Amino acid sequence: MKLEPHRIRVGGLKILEGGACVVASFPQDEGGLAARVCTPLALNRINLRLFSHVAADREVLCTVAQAGEAAATLIKTQGGEEAAVHLHPAAAILSLYPHDKRPEVVGSLIRSLAQDRVIIHGLASSPSAISAVLSSGRTGIAVRRLFKNFHFPAFESPEVFFAAQAPPEELVRRVVADYQEKVVKVYCILPQPDLDLWGMTVSSSEILAGFADALLELGSLDLQIPFLVALPGLGGKEFILSFSTAGPPERGAEIRRILMENLPGRRPMRLTPVAGIFLHGPHFGDRYGIAQALVESLEKAHIAILALSCTISSISLIIRQHQLAAAQLVLGHTFASPVESYGGGA
Amino acid sequence: MSGKYVLIVDDDPDLVETVAMMLESKGFEVGRAYDGIEGQEAIKKRQPDVLVLDVMMPRKNGYELCRELKASKWTKDIPVIMLTAVGDAVPTTSYSHAEGMAMEAEDFIPKPVDAATLVQAVERLI
Repeated sequence: MKLEPHRIRVGGLKILEGGACVVASFPQDEGGLAARVCTPLALNRINLRLFSHVAADREVLCTVAQAGEAAATLIKTQGGEEAAVHLHPAAAILSLYPHDKRPEVVGSLIRSLAQDRVIIHGLASSPSAISAVLSSGRTGIAVRRLFKNFHFPAFESPEVFFAAQAPPEELVRRVVADYQEKVVKVYCILPQPDLDLWGMTVSSSEILAGFADALLELGSLDLQIPFLVALPGLGGKEFILSFSTAGPPERGAEIRRILMENLPGRRPMRLTPVAGIFLHGPHFGDRYGIAQALVESLEKAHIAILALSCTISSISLIIRQHQLAAAQLVLGHTFASPVESYGGGA
Repeated sequence: MSGKYVLIVDDDPDLVETVAMMLESKGFEVGRAYDGIEGQEAIKKRQPDVLVLDVMMPRKNGYELCRELKASKWTKDIPVIMLTAVGDAVPTTSYSHAEGMAMEAEDFIPKPVDAATLVQAVERLI
């Protein structure tokens, strides 16, 4: 079933230019994510504008352009001969929000980029936003297409949007000004149990077609997707997709059918139940030390991060459900969080 | 607090969702806007019972919007809570807390936002 895209009303759009993107793969996943990636980058104060990870496989991260080569070298050094690292020196992050956890928003974003053959170097989600890593030179065409498929009440046209963008120096100043804490403050640490985690590998052309169609069709199920990352292979020929769904367990068969119909020949893997943890803080847009603190604390407690996504001002992670209470305890000690809890699902 | 409408204006979409969730869990109806100009448009469409306003935003910052609201006879009575990271946490920014204090906002809450403090502030102003 192919659903025709319609113009979806969303709140806003952000473009973060002037970045570099590093894609890394470690066939021998030894040493942990903190030691391989987070700690070396934190020690060198390399900011992580975006960071995504799928367990035992690979990472995508974005830094400012000037730090891209240093980040790639550090990761390559830590990973040794087995590590495969690729640097895109001119990358931008395009973020659309709020997605309201609706699959059709993500599907329509991917389809929009595909319509103009804009290559996606990675996808990452936050509780409110979906971010795509693009080559810098393609953001203009991407934004123009998004205005055809989405309605942004704050911006009448792409021209109005472009005119409203803050100069890069302002963004840098804000980041430098904002991040000064030793113990990082957090607005909240929100657990969301009873999720399914889906994983599959697809070819690059499929993610731009079949996966977008699958998401649009999943949208008709009134299903929520609180977490999604897509990480490209180093040759650009394939993508690893990892996303979570919230809904009745019996929906699993229907989700699998939709994925297989739209991505023929692929085998979606389902892990259930898993839990999501969503952290959001005032300084989470600049997170070299924040991601390191989070990953290291969980790894020390032997809590496996199945998948992780950092973008906008949040970190989202998926863990096994039976480790949720332990993870909450660890993170509660790692971050300075308000006493009041306003729990519930993220 | 059924029927009471709170508008949140902040350019951090994750913060907007966090604050919205906090207030919705207490029974408030919540509107969302992502910069000062969008906030201004939202207020024209529906006046909020309380406005939760960030300081640092593109296009029109929170101080500018607050100043305009307080200068208009139509909107001057809307209670405004400013969420501010300015002051001791952000010494190098061009935004000053003193400027905010002169804006006649009803309350200032420093980031990171404490849920109880924000809900109490909203309830106090309604």
